[in-house]
Amino acid sequence: MNEQSRPRFGKGVKLRHDGDGSVMLLVPEGALVLNPPAAVALTLVDGNRTLEEIVDTVVERFEVAPQRARDELNGLFERLAQRGFLRCLS
Amino acid sequence: MPVLSAPTSLGTASVDGTPRPLSLLCELTYRCNLQCPYCYNPLTLRDYRDELSTQEWSGVLSDAAELGVVQAHFSGGEPTLRRDLATLVGDASRAGLYTNLITQGTFLDDDLLDRLLDNGLDHIQISIQAPQTELADRIAGTEVHEKKLDALRRVREREVALTLNCVLHRRNHDTIEDVIAFAEDLGIERLELANVQFYGWAYRNRTALMPTLEQVRRGEKVVAAARERLHGTMEIVYVLPDYFGEFPKPCMSGWGNEFMTVTPNGYVLPCPAASAIRDLDFENVRKRRLGEIWRSSDAFVRYRGTSWMPEPCRSCDRREVDWGGCRCQAFLLAGDAGLTDPACSLSPNHRIMAALREAAEDIEPAARRA
Repeated sequence: MNEQSRPRFGKGVKLRHDGDGSVMLLVPEGALVLNPPAAVALTLVDGNRTLEEIVDTVVERFEVAPQRARDELNGLFERLAQRGFLRCLS
Repeated sequence: MPVLSAPTSLGTASVDGTPRPLSLLCELTYRCNLQCPYCYNPLTLRDYRDELSTQEWSGVLSDAAELGVVQAHFSGGEPTLRRDLATLVGDASRAGLYTNLITQGTFLDDDLLDRLLDNGLDHIQISIQAPQTELADRIAGTEVHEKKLDALRRVREREVALTLNCVLHRRNHDTIEDVIAFAEDLGIERLELANVQFYGWAYRNRTALMPTLEQVRRGEKVVAAARERLHGTMEIVYVLPDYFGEFPKPCMSGWGNEFMTVTPNGYVLPCPAASAIRDLDFENVRKRRLGEIWRSSDAFVRYRGTSWMPEPCRSCDRREVDWGGCRCQAFLLAGDAGLTDPACSLSPNHRIMAALREAAEDIEPAARRA
C-alpha cells in the first residue's frame, strides 16, 4: 500500500453505519469500531480514489495535525491491507 | 463446531452501563455426522434435541438486531443439517446483520450454497481435520475429507469470503506445513490454525489431544515463516494454546461484554462452553426475551465487568486486557468459575496447567457420540 494505491474492500468486508452515528468495519468473524476520521476515510474507499486523495479529504474535514493524521491513517490502511480487509490496485 | 475464536472487536459501552452485544452465535443444532474428539459441544448432547423452531430462531435474530448485535454466526453441531438454514440467513441479513456460516462442509452442495448466497450470506468458514484424506477421515471418524474438498472448490468458484479452519492437536500438529500448502493450492485467502481448546469433548480427551511443547514451538516457527512468504496473499490466524502461554486469552472479550450464544434448545450463554459451569443459572428465549436475559440474567451479570474479580486480577493492570481469562476454564480446572483463569502465570492455580501438559499421552482420543 502506498499513496498512489487505490484501495477497495476485500471479500466479506462491509462498513456499517448506525443511527447513533457510530461506524463499524465488519470483517469475517469480527468487527472494528472506527473513530470519526477512520470512518470517513473508509467511507471513501471505492477502488477509484487513491490513498492520498482519501487522506487529503480527511485532513481537510477534521481539525487535526496533518502529519499525525497522515501517519495514523496510512498505518490503519496498512494494517487493514495486511489482514486482507483492504486490497489495492496500484 | 470445533473452535472458539474470540471476536477481534473493541467493545462499545451503552448509556446505562450495560455493554452492547455485538455478536450472536446461533448454535442451530448439536447434530453432526462427524465424531471429532476435539468438539467443544457438551457431552450431554441428548439434552439439546428439543431444537428451536424456525419461527423461534427468527425471533432471536430480530431481537438481537434490535439490541445492536452486528454479526450472526451460524454454527452447531453442523448447522447445514437444519433445513431452514438459508431462511434464517435471509432473516438475519434483512435485519442488517453480517452473516457467517461455520460448517464442516460435507452437505454444502451447489443448491444449498446458491440459496445461502442469494439470501445474503457474507462469509463461510469450512474446517478440515487434516490435509491428508486418510488422517482427516480418521480424526473425523468417517469418510468426509473428499466431500470437504468439493465444498471448498465450490465456494472458491463463487464470490464469497472464505476462511479455511483446521483445529490443531497432538494427532495432526506435525502436518501444519501441509495444511498451509493445502490452503495455498486452493487459493485460500484466510487460514485459521487454531490450537484445540479444552472444553466439552476436547476436555474429556485432553490427555490424548494435548500437543507437545516441541509441536507448539515448531508450529510458531512454521507459521511465522509462512506469514512472511505469503504476505498479502494469505492471512494466517494462529491461535496459541493457552496451556503454553504466560497470560490467559481475553475470553469472549470479557464475560457478557459483547458476545452471546444461543444453544439449539434456546438457552442463552455468555460463552459457547459456559454450560460446563454447573452452578450458573442460564435462561431460555422460550421464557424470556433475549434483551432481558442479556441485561439481567444471573449467567450474564455474575462475571460481567471487573467488580467480581478476586486477586490477583483485581489489582492487575491487565484486568481489562484479558478480563481474568476464561470462566469455564477456571471452573473446569480450579473448581470455581469466579477464580483467575489458571492459564495466567500469576494464578495460584497455574501449576494445574503444567500438570495437565505433563499428563499428555500418546493415545487415541475417544470419538464424540450422541
